[in-house]
Amino acid sequence: MQAKVGDRIVVRGHHVGDPNRDCEVLEVHGTDGGPPYLVRWGDSGHTTLFFPGPDAAIQGREPTTK
Amino acid sequence: MRVIDCVRRSAIGVGPERTITDAAEIMDQAGVGALAVIDRGRIIGLVTDRDLVRRGVARHVPPDTRVDTVMTSDIVTVEAETDLHDVFAIFRTHAIRRLPVVRGGEFVGMVTVDDLVIDLAADLSDLARPIIGEVLFAHRDRLG
Repeated sequence: MQAKVGDRIVVRGHHVGDPNRDCEVLEVHGTDGGPPYLVRWGDSGHTTLFFPGPDAAIQGREPTTK
Repeated sequence: MRVIDCVRRSAIGVGPERTITDAAEIMDQAGVGALAVIDRGRIIGLVTDRDLVRRGVARHVPPDTRVDTVMTSDIVTVEAETDLHDVFAIFRTHAIRRLPVVRGGEFVGMVTVDDLVIDLAADLSDLARPIIGEVLFAHRDRLG
């Protein structure tokens, strides 16, 4: 995944009934837009480091392979 | 198959200065049972829901305690390109359920026993399908 500050990442729910989650990229810590990202979560407001897996995609873009 | 190809979901990391209350809330919101504790780009530990219960709540640790006081710091990691069969051996030897995956020493994700069991179950199902078909619907040569 390659992201830039301000991108919104959507993480799909893992269990039946789980909503998708989304977060905003605040900082890019990898090289060339790569992870990890410092993000703020839309539902809780918590900031964490985020290491995207196959369940995550930048909003408006298709998921990328590793 | 490489272990990185078996990582099924995104991972979340927190700094060692975050509180155990923060960690519990983040786990709850994300629906995960473990967070990577990251310091200057390196994984220095894992904090699990079990750590929070056994080393936090059960010992009446204040809720604003730093997460690095309850985390598991003696962790086993695996390089992202490691063959999956070698990972089975790591799980077997260390009796752990989560294994941080690193690339060049930097944390990139987490693989869990649950993930591997789901993958194996799917593979077994695929392998078993023709056998089940043969057992249930035995082929009979048509005579005459």
